[in-house]
Amino acid sequence: MKVESVLTNKDVPEVIQNAFNECISPDEQLLFVVVGDLSLKAKYEQTALGVTGKGFMVYDPEREEPLKKYAHSDVADAKVKRMYGNARLRVNFKDGTHEDVFRFTYSVATLADMAANFIENIAAGKSEDEEYEVVCATYEKLMNVCPKCGRTLLHPGAECINCQSKGKIAKKLVKYIKPEVKTLVLCLILSALTTAVALAPPYMTGRLVDKVLPEKNRGALGWIVLALFGTYIFQHLIGALRGYLLRCSGDRIVLSLRNDVYKKAQSLPLGFYDKTSTGSVINRISGDTNTLQAFMLRISQEVVVQFFLGVGIIVIMLVLNWRLTLLSLIPVPLVVVGAKIFRRKIMPFYRRIWRRWAGVVSVLADSIPNIRVTKSFAGEERTVNKFKSYNQEWLNTDVSAAKIATVFPHIVSFCVTCGSLLIWSVGGNWVINGTGGLTTGLLVSFLSYASMFYGPVNFFAYLSDSYQQALSSAERVFDILDAEDEPDEAKGNCPPIKGKIEFKNVNFSFDRTKKVLSDVNITIEPGEIVGIVGTTGSGKSTLVNLLMRFYDQYEGEILVDGVNTKKIDLQYFRSQIGYVQQDPMMFSDTVYNNIAYGKPDAHVEEVIHAAEVANAHEFIARQPDGYDTMLGERGVGLSGGERQRVSIARAVLKNPALLIFDEATAAVDSETEHLIQEAIERLISGRTTLMIAHRLSTLRKANRIIVVDQGRIIENDTPEALMALKGKYYKLVQIQTMADQLAKSKQEENFE
Amino acid sequence: MARFYVDGNSARFTRKDICLVDMELFGGEIVEDLEPRRLFPVSGRMKYITLLDSEGKEHAIIRDVETLSPESKEVILECLREYYLIPKITGLLERTEKFGILKWTVQTDRGVQQLRIRNRNSDIKQLYDGRSLVRDSNDNRYEIIDYRKLDKNSLKLLSADI
Repeated sequence: MKVESVLTNKDVPEVIQNAFNECISPDEQLLFVVVGDLSLKAKYEQTALGVTGKGFMVYDPEREEPLKKYAHSDVADAKVKRMYGNARLRVNFKDGTHEDVFRFTYSVATLADMAANFIENIAAGKSEDEEYEVVCATYEKLMNVCPKCGRTLLHPGAECINCQSKGKIAKKLVKYIKPEVKTLVLCLILSALTTAVALAPPYMTGRLVDKVLPEKNRGALGWIVLALFGTYIFQHLIGALRGYLLRCSGDRIVLSLRNDVYKKAQSLPLGFYDKTSTGSVINRISGDTNTLQAFMLRISQEVVVQFFLGVGIIVIMLVLNWRLTLLSLIPVPLVVVGAKIFRRKIMPFYRRIWRRWAGVVSVLADSIPNIRVTKSFAGEERTVNKFKSYNQEWLNTDVSAAKIATVFPHIVSFCVTCGSLLIWSVGGNWVINGTGGLTTGLLVSFLSYASMFYGPVNFFAYLSDSYQQALSSAERVFDILDAEDEPDEAKGNCPPIKGKIEFKNVNFSFDRTKKVLSDVNITIEPGEIVGIVGTTGSGKSTLVNLLMRFYDQYEGEILVDGVNTKKIDLQYFRSQIGYVQQDPMMFSDTVYNNIAYGKPDAHVEEVIHAAEVANAHEFIARQPDGYDTMLGERGVGLSGGERQRVSIARAVLKNPALLIFDEATAAVDSETEHLIQEAIERLISGRTTLMIAHRLSTLRKANRIIVVDQGRIIENDTPEALMALKGKYYKLVQIQTMADQLAKSKQEENFE
Repeated sequence: MARFYVDGNSARFTRKDICLVDMELFGGEIVEDLEPRRLFPVSGRMKYITLLDSEGKEHAIIRDVETLSPESKEVILECLREYYLIPKITGLLERTEKFGILKWTVQTDRGVQQLRIRNRNSDIKQLYDGRSLVRDSNDNRYEIIDYRKLDKNSLKLLSADI
């Protein structure tokens, strides 16, 4: 076999490249290299595994002989042993010996898996060309990363969502401000008016002191007081109107931002929620969006207003007395430098405060919905203590931040006060000496303008504080907004679904530490009823999760009617599946709406029919409010079996092509199980059905059983054939029959 | 089913392979090829070590490694050292942030390493005793024993993330 270039995950260091070249015989060619990062002695080193058609070489600088070569023909099998934070490639040789040849972190675990398969399959005599194709596909998938940020792309050539959307925060926030531009501009005009009017009183005060009072001009005094009254009325009326408009506008901004974040949160893959606590997501939707709203208003309004106010005051002050103006500017550089230092110091605190607060919210999100468990285990005190300790942590961090956040503004105020003292001492002397062309009135006006000027200075100094807070909030909000949606490349492709399901070479791990499913190959024909059994944690539910496309980052293919599920419109695909869980969640809504959740436009009689099929109609009819019975968050008011039947009714109403029951009868008594079983049997006729069950009695209708053990399919046949095989399924049946008999005899004893 | 706990000298361990041991009980019974694993890899690294066979079935739990005979203790610790790779970060040499992803170059007890952290909020966990656990984008784990004791420069770089 001839290959154009050697596949590699990184540039192969020259020393390794040379060592490989020396080792390769003229009639063999290097096919691929896995550049590793860990020596066998667990030190970070550049190592490499090079594979040819005839053998493989490992370079490890920590060994006495860094390069070692092995022939495929000597290999009995090659396996990757995953440990904690690292893994090894172990090769068992035909002479009965074994060796750990290559050690690595999870960074190259997938490539090492692929290399182990290649070595083992070539040693077993499989076609080199076919195996090399698998190698190429693995490299292509792994190397399919964004050149900017290194993130794995959805498919070759896809745009990196991460980089594409990471512009400047302001740019992203503009989207939310845009619809409010008219109102905001109007508010700006109103601000400009009030600001301009606000500049008049100091001037009038100066006139009063210099002219009107010394000349005892009562008429002019009356006019000036009236004018001052007018300016105050104008300022406050316009101020109130502007405040109202701004508040409405701000509310609309936060509404739209919150809606977007919530909508996005709905479309995020389950993997996001596996890694992010719900408390932290709620915190982002509620708290962070508010912080951003306040900041957007500050940026779009106050910054402009304060800037022009500052400029206006400086111009007036320069006109009044340029030398005093320069004096009053002395504290400004101090404020600017201080703000810079403040910004650097306060930012980490805001992040810490947020984390602590997210912790507090997580306790809330955990404990309030679980209040029944808490009460039944008398855990109120523990819960309260846990909450207190998290709250205390928040307080401690907030208090540390408060030290910086409060000291800084006081330093600024102190500098500002010192500035006014300077004006008093210098300007006062000028007035007393009659120099500098300064009168008492002018000095009073000047002092008023100077104190007004420190308003914008203070504002810009504090702006960095709110900017830092907003930046920290924006990071977290955009963490959601920019997160990758559930991949849905095939929007609009809605082929009719008959129900043939195929898993082809499926491997999956939630993170890279442990494989949850290994080499799964199953074919299920349309209309088949398949029971999936296995011990807890064997991977049964994960199989279903992958079929439902809750997780998409698996190796291999899952096909429905011959079409890769990733090539089918996600929403359409899920709408074709009826999924009944062990602990069905009910929404805080009526029984009717809970049943009609998957088909909100269903006719009343369809809903009633669905409830009948699910054996739910009778108990609903017995409720005083019938179908209008309100349910709590967890279906409060209904027993476990009743909730289960409501959830089956939900599935019935959807009329799905595929049905999945995940331990649907695990948590109910035998009588309810019988009712549910009856409902299930009505529902499954003619539909491809997957039934995960611990209770094997649930599977009496199944015409095929798949036994999953440690992520592998170990048995797959009819129940009769598996009983005859006397394997794992047989053992499970034996154990359960014994347990059932024991329970039955105990029951009988009790009756007697 | 009663769980079998190993205490003090009730069992002797000999090394079988890199991560495998043989357990010889006081009564002479020998269980071969057991893999020691921590039941509490984060909170109790020397206590409650489970011993699993190749099928993942547990045969015993060592209550406290410290109570074993010195030879057995060394055997178990060697296996654990091989199995668990959690480099200790002793210093932060460089920190950059691009497109929301943190890039750290760190000095660890295993050498210098570059790592990428996707989400500082979920991938850096701070425990209350000053320990910090870090997970990189490849699911490798790292530990900072006590971030407060890092050098000034590392602390300065870390302050944005911890």
